[in-house]
Amino acid sequence: MIRRGKGVGCMWYPIGFTVLANPSAATVKVNEDGTATLLTGTVETGQGSLTVLAQIAAEELGVSTDDIHVVSADTDTTPMDTGAIASRTTYVTGNAIKLAAANAKQILFEVAAPLLEVQPNQLEAVDRKIQVQYFPQRCLPIADVALQAQFVMGRPPIGSASYNPPTVGMDPETGQGKPFSTYVYATQCAEVEVDDETGEVDVIYMSAAHDCGTAINPMLVEGQIEGGISMGIGFALQEEMLFDDKGLQLNPNLTNYIMPTSLDMPEIDVDIVENFDPTGPFGAKGVGEPTAVPTAAAICNAIFDAVGVRITSLPATAEKVLRAIKEKNDNDQKILPAAE
Amino acid sequence: MTDVTLIVNGETKTASVPPETTLLKMLREDLNYTGSKLGCDVGDCGACTVLVDGLAVNACLMLAGQAEGKEILTIEGLSTLEKYHPIQKAFEDVAALQCGFCGPGMIMTTKALIDQDEDVTRQNIKDALSGNLCRCTGYTKIIEGVIDAYQEITGKKLPEIKPRAA
Amino acid sequence: MADEVKVADKTETVESLRKIDDNLRLPSVPEKRVFPKEIDVSAARMQTPAVGQRATRPDGRMHGLGQTKYIDDMFFPGMIHAKIKRAGIAHAKIKSIDVSEAEKMPGVMATLIGSEIPVNSFGPSLQDQPLLADDVVRHAGDGVAAVAAVTEQQALDALEKIKIVYEELPNVFDPVEAMKDDAYKIHNNESNIYASKTIMKGDVEKGFADSDFIFERTFTTQMVEHVPMEPHASIGEWDANGRVTLHSSLGRITLGRADISRTLEMPINRIRIIATVVGGNFGGKNEITTEPIVALLSKKTGRPVKCVFTREDEFISSTTRHPFVMEYKTGMSKEGKIMARKVRLICDGGAYCSWSETTLGKACILSAGPYNIENLHVDAYAVYTTKTMTGAMRGFGAPQVCFAYESHMDDMAAELGIEPLEIRLKNAFNEGSASPTGQVLEAVVVKDSLEMATERFGWKEWRK
Ligand code: FES
Ligand code: FES
Repeated sequence: MIRRGKGVGCMWYPIGFTVLANPSAATVKVNEDGTATLLTGTVETGQGSLTVLAQIAAEELGVSTDDIHVVSADTDTTPMDTGAIASRTTYVTGNAIKLAAANAKQILFEVAAPLLEVQPNQLEAVDRKIQVQYFPQRCLPIADVALQAQFVMGRPPIGSASYNPPTVGMDPETGQGKPFSTYVYATQCAEVEVDDETGEVDVIYMSAAHDCGTAINPMLVEGQIEGGISMGIGFALQEEMLFDDKGLQLNPNLTNYIMPTSLDMPEIDVDIVENFDPTGPFGAKGVGEPTAVPTAAAICNAIFDAVGVRITSLPATAEKVLRAIKEKNDNDQKILPAAE
Repeated sequence: MTDVTLIVNGETKTASVPPETTLLKMLREDLNYTGSKLGCDVGDCGACTVLVDGLAVNACLMLAGQAEGKEILTIEGLSTLEKYHPIQKAFEDVAALQCGFCGPGMIMTTKALIDQDEDVTRQNIKDALSGNLCRCTGYTKIIEGVIDAYQEITGKKLPEIKPRAA
Repeated sequence: MADEVKVADKTETVESLRKIDDNLRLPSVPEKRVFPKEIDVSAARMQTPAVGQRATRPDGRMHGLGQTKYIDDMFFPGMIHAKIKRAGIAHAKIKSIDVSEAEKMPGVMATLIGSEIPVNSFGPSLQDQPLLADDVVRHAGDGVAAVAAVTEQQALDALEKIKIVYEELPNVFDPVEAMKDDAYKIHNNESNIYASKTIMKGDVEKGFADSDFIFERTFTTQMVEHVPMEPHASIGEWDANGRVTLHSSLGRITLGRADISRTLEMPINRIRIIATVVGGNFGGKNEITTEPIVALLSKKTGRPVKCVFTREDEFISSTTRHPFVMEYKTGMSKEGKIMARKVRLICDGGAYCSWSETTLGKACILSAGPYNIENLHVDAYAVYTTKTMTGAMRGFGAPQVCFAYESHMDDMAAELGIEPLEIRLKNAFNEGSASPTGQVLEAVVVKDSLEMATERFGWKEWRK
């Protein structure tokens, strides 16, 4: 018989590394027409970080994402970066880029100030313009200012900066300290169908609500969450490296190592929990890793709800679930006569 | 070495390859169509999917010699100088791909599915893509991209899934 | 034979040389323009302000067009291919390695063994891992020698001819066994435990004494591979100035460069790493693997050398997710408030440390869950075993402990007759809660996320 169940999993996760420094550096060059080139040492690993980082630079300069060209991943030309790891790119590299862009913008402000007859600190960069705060009609196109900076003032608007999240080392005895500068939070809920005759588990629906601070690009955040869930489903139900008694892997191929396919994916609803972290670039934190964290917990709790067995060892394969159901039935039967 | 002639994306190409060369290897290494990817070399992942006479096949499982004289369509043959192919456009618009390694295979499988000229359901799409592994996306946005492309190309509409809760 | 010529140490016929030459030639077809002359830019990319826009990705367009060049899509004139021989034995002393037969195989241009690497060790926190094992093999996927040949197939064939004499050493597969005093010491250290962490907050014993109920349960998780669809790959090219350029699928080039400099004993300014879009990382492509090997093979042969992992290499020799043994003991008030928690984590580190320390640290801090627990004691250990090494993988220990603390939570909720959502809301962090390490937390939205996800799910109305 098919039995349905629901389960919830909730988690928290830090952004960046423990204790060790994990700096990022960046350079932003504003071109003569107000477009810009961003140099970063991070590597795009598929999550869309380069687009998100371009959005951060664009926001700071008051231009559009398409106005930013990103150069990355070459140790000869790009600044140092701790890399695409520990969900740190948006937060740490993003902060470095925001600071670098601010430095370049400062040059634009200093060039524009006399032209607009104000002090540089009265200016802002909005909508491809350098304008006087509260007096948006007093403005210059950013292209004009950049051109002026380069060819009249001889001050190319280039900014460089680095960022390292402030942390406090953990006490070796008690572990007390401030190991990370910020954390994200998330909950996922799963609805499963368990066949109590075969032990097979089918995840049919999942809802996920993730906090990532400001979502710089909601479309890419959704992509991360959906991808994380698929990895979580593999972890929960299917994937396992198996070894023989000599320590040789029995399934070193994708035929016998079963990872989720399109058929294993449930319908997913994604919500982004509104939040703003004052220490992140425009309030952003990160989202990469946490998406794969609570899935297995939610699914196993749903299995528990459906058939009343607690899976204590992952993955919850059909054999394992069936064995647990049988054990439970045996126990129930043993208890029955005594209760009568 | 044997000479193999293929019609790749409409152009006739010949190369002389060792007889054990797979179609994938010939396309990638001898003809320089590197769009099709090698993810496993044994038919498990679908990254190497191309169309051979209109059918989606794993190019790593087919010997180059078996494809002699056949029409091969690779990812490079979809868009033209003038027109961005609707599947590729739909995939871009919804950010269907993340690392992109599975992308060419996914798109070729999608092309074969839509070309069948039959009504397609969500389940058909999931079934069709089940031989193409993707580790990044959870397939969700890929399926979204396939639906968009299907609707765009065929002018048909897939029923919306009713939202779970307000 | 008249057309016999002597090349290096082997006899080749002119015919086979010609074949080699053929194979070395680049694909002769010029690349065709296979994308439209003009494609519109999506509106979201043109908008200001930029933050919050659903901007499309320029690299995403390249992926869809098949235009993205991953490492394996790059070919350079004269490029040859390297393959790595795997030990195939989990734990053994290497008595001898003989590559002479392999060197005589057709197409083979060079071989490399561990003792030829200037500093044959690396690792992000402990440098306990050899690039190619030269003394002891500690897991079956350890590389023991590399061959560079004109074609991949020739390199693979040559691997078969490498002769290695092993003396088997005892295997230790179970992390709990490995922790025991009398277990065989895999790295000749005093203990197989190579990292440990502790968190102590409040007074757990008192917390348990004050609890109405005590719950205990042990959870375990399995070893999982990252399975990036693109296998690890690198191309090395040594130039006349003694500079090496590496195209690599590495996700952390700044630190990778430092590691390569250390292993090759050369100044950092003579190393250039160019990465492309990584075809899936998830933590698995954060360390150097083949880079120093292709660099040295390129130095030996004067040619660009490419090495791409087979899918099997990917499984047996790259890092994986740590299996955990997690013992949980939690004291509860009858109202469902967590009074105290004691956790013991044992993390199966496999043969080498890799990112275990970081994983252990995160797992340790996160193991209490996003809940206010005044009395907490966590002990965590990373242990060597003779299995594939474990390292960074999406979540660094968090998916494992989350599975445990959330399963444990529902167990307790069921016993106490409290609704799962209810018990979580009762214990979840608030703004300003103190974390297990005593850090005051800000911008805390655990409860919001619980409410949002359950509302979307239709949790309260849901019926079986
Ligand atoms: S490379 Fe052909 S199916 Fe994986
Ligand atoms: S996008 Fe990375 S494998 Fe599909």
